[in-house]
Amino acid sequence: MKYPEIDKYAELDSVIHRFDPRAKIITFTLLIFSFVFIENLGVAFLTLLFSFFILLLSKIPLGFMFDRMKPGLIFVFPFLVIMPFAVEGNVLFSIYGLNITYEGVYYGILVFVRAATSIMFALTMLGTTKMDVTMKSLYSLKVPAPLVQTLMFSYRYVFVFIDEFISMWTAMTSKGFKLKANKHSLSVVGNIVGMLLVRSCERAERVHHSMSSKGYTGESRTIVKFKMQMTDYCLVAFLVGIALIFKMYEMSLL
Amino acid sequence: MKKAISITSLNYSYPDGTKALDDVNIEVEQGEKIVIMGPNGAGKTTLFLHLNGIIRSDDGNVKIFGSSIGDMKVEDRIKEVGVVFAEPDDQLFMSTVYDDVAFGPLNMGLSEEEVGRRVKKALATVGLEGFEERVPHHMSFGQKKKAALAAVLSMEPRVLILDEPTANLDPKSKADLIRVINDLNRNEGVTTVIAMHDVNALADLADRVYVLNRTIVAEGTPRDIFSDPVLVKENNLDAPDLFKFFKIMRCFGADCSQTPMSIDESVTVMTKMIESLEGELYLTVDENTHSLVNEIIASYRH
Ligand SMILES: Nc1ncnc2c1ncn2[C@@H]1O[C@H](COP(=O)(O)OP(=O)(O)OP(=O)(O)O)[C@@H](O)[C@H]1O
Ligand SMILES: [Mg+2]
Repeated sequence: MKYPEIDKYAELDSVIHRFDPRAKIITFTLLIFSFVFIENLGVAFLTLLFSFFILLLSKIPLGFMFDRMKPGLIFVFPFLVIMPFAVEGNVLFSIYGLNITYEGVYYGILVFVRAATSIMFALTMLGTTKMDVTMKSLYSLKVPAPLVQTLMFSYRYVFVFIDEFISMWTAMTSKGFKLKANKHSLSVVGNIVGMLLVRSCERAERVHHSMSSKGYTGESRTIVKFKMQMTDYCLVAFLVGIALIFKMYEMSLL
Repeated sequence: MKKAISITSLNYSYPDGTKALDDVNIEVEQGEKIVIMGPNGAGKTTLFLHLNGIIRSDDGNVKIFGSSIGDMKVEDRIKEVGVVFAEPDDQLFMSTVYDDVAFGPLNMGLSEEEVGRRVKKALATVGLEGFEERVPHHMSFGQKKKAALAAVLSMEPRVLILDEPTANLDPKSKADLIRVINDLNRNEGVTTVIAMHDVNALADLADRVYVLNRTIVAEGTPRDIFSDPVLVKENNLDAPDLFKFFKIMRCFGADCSQTPMSIDESVTVMTKMIESLEGELYLTVDENTHSLVNEIIASYRH
């Protein structure tokens, strides 16, 4: 089983890596929000191309990135299949009485392309910054502390959780358990999921103990040292400019 | 002088009814090194949860330097006691080692330079220089244990409490850890309380031993405790190999006045014994030797 380690290549050196993390979070979020509202398929494809260009700039290995994109894409894939049937409009052709419409196909692809663009941007953003730096930037951007802490602990303990799952699974298989499609298998799997939940509750309690024994009272205190450079301002201007150009181009097509 | 730790008639049952502590009494002087031994499930970890104020006892049974732990302010408490628990993953909750070790000092409201200085010192003490930016899920168990210790050392507590610190460490790391604890004790006057099962490493870390089995069943120097085979056996313990070896030596006619607890001490004992015999040591086997030896071995065997 693979760890969902997104910041594996955060130590590389590229323009995107050097981008001030706070500025990066803000501009990338802005780009994502402006691109998901694009209605024109052609423009949407251009934004996808653009996000791919940014990914190339970041030097993150493509195989690694596509691997991380998969879960997100699988999640939106049903839209691609269902929308051609669901949206009403000009019928392209019909199968067994079900109509596939031009609008359906158009919007299906549009949704998929928009999703791919956003996922690629988001992952490039996360993949070029170490997770702890991302968290600290969120703090310094005044994102509410409980939210950042929830994110931080989820990321920290998902690894422990996976390790626990693997060790339980190994223990079970080494005692001769084989996963089959029967009632016994199901009840065993149900059991281990339950155990994992109980264990994580207990762990949460112990972690809380450990935090309060180090003086934690709910406030988060971290040392944050960020400084915007000239290149950061240029990069922000460039990216925001691109977003505006896409927006204007789309409007000119109307 | 105020006692570093004073626990009087402490009782505790878990919510499910398990009685974990029953009338526990412990007194520790400042600067002492204490080891707490006892079988699995004896209540050692439960006791430590009290020393940290995580489990509250409302009657003021647990006092640190004279003040009841329940009444202390958080900032004061973490300056006085630091507890390192056995499971490092629970204690390293931040994204990097640096952030974890800085967590306590930041909560104490120290300046950034002071925090930086303490983190550096704590990491150097446990031998993890250069691990600042490492993430916990990329570290081995032993390294995580050391990081968890550093995260408590950085608060520079006057009383340091360790739950099974040597478990799962390689021999060198174990020796390093023992040295770190002894240095802190000797040079900075830190009082240490350690729960451990490793009897062979015990003598280096204990001026005094408490045997806990829900209640305190015995207290004394390591030698007092191990000289009582019944006590040792009843509490799932064992005596150090060296200690048993010197008892066996006696069956072969070696007249050692004292049973040594450590390698260093054994050199002194041997030297003294041989010098008192004008430079030569005779060992003999007679008809009783093996039955005496067997008796000693049997007295400690489970
Ligand atoms: N959260 C809990 N809920 C209920 N009972 C518990 C809980 N934690 C521990 N116990 C019980 O309390 C008793 C003391 O446990 P404790 O963990 O303090 O023992 P220990 O001396 O630390 O043992 P070990 O040497 O195995 O670490 C045991 O009988 C244990 O089963
Ligand atoms: Mg324990």
